[in-house]
Amino acid sequence: MASTTESPAADIAVDEQLDTDKPWIVLVWNDPINLMSYVAFVLQKLFGYSNEKATELMLDVHHKGRAVVSSGARERAELDVFRLHEHGLWATMQRDT
Amino acid sequence: MGNHATRHMMRRRNSGPFVAQRDGTYAMKLSPDVQALLVHMFGELRDVLTTGNSNEPTLQRLFPVAYHQDPESNEEYQRLMRSELVASRLAAISRAVEVIDTAENQSPILTSGDMSQFMQSLNAIRLLLGTMLDVSEDDELNGQNGLEDDDPRLAQHHLYAYLGWLLEASISAQMNRGEIR
Repeated sequence: MASTTESPAADIAVDEQLDTDKPWIVLVWNDPINLMSYVAFVLQKLFGYSNEKATELMLDVHHKGRAVVSSGARERAELDVFRLHEHGLWATMQRDT
Repeated sequence: MGNHATRHMMRRRNSGPFVAQRDGTYAMKLSPDVQALLVHMFGELRDVLTTGNSNEPTLQRLFPVAYHQDPESNEEYQRLMRSELVASRLAAISRAVEVIDTAENQSPILTSGDMSQFMQSLNAIRLLLGTMLDVSEDDELNGQNGLEDDDPRLAQHHLYAYLGWLLEASISAQMNRGEIR
């Protein structure tokens, strides 16, 4: 049976390439301590969001439990996580799905 | 997230503890006793950061996980960044204490940068205290976690609420000036 399909090894290589191309996302999680106004303020300050955008993200955190606040390369995401941790927000990062 | 201080703040917007000055700074209008209390708490926070085990449950909120799906990456991240996070927190505390200490019976004057350091330190104390008190979002609805009037934890809950009000006031002062839009 004739086939032009690439070898399994090549498929894996392509999948890995696609995986590493996916951006990283930074999430802020809900917690009972941080004030809603403080979370919105920090998001505006660190990411330059408008008051409306920051409030929308903050409400997502509050009602849905988490919100994606930034995305990009891994190094950038780590820096964002660090800055959020400096301000006491509960932030984590993961590769986008 | 908590929101208990909002209504209280709306009544005090024009007479809050952080008064915007014409030169872009803020004057802190707090009694000497409250200033001394803040310096004391900042000192305790510094002690916890320098001598405490950051893996203790009460300190977990000061040192959150970065990679929640990847323990190996998280371990590497913590190895590289935890000391930087501690250094950043200590620098913020030092500046907050310095601003109050150098005021010498005058109203402490905070630049925009000082306000940021002050807020971060204040929030760090709330994270620590809130974790110790195991506060929940229901607490603000029920009031003081349903504690009796003679419960020794009541004073800590009052302090926690006061720090929330103070943090809210610092945010309002900056928002009213348009530090961020």
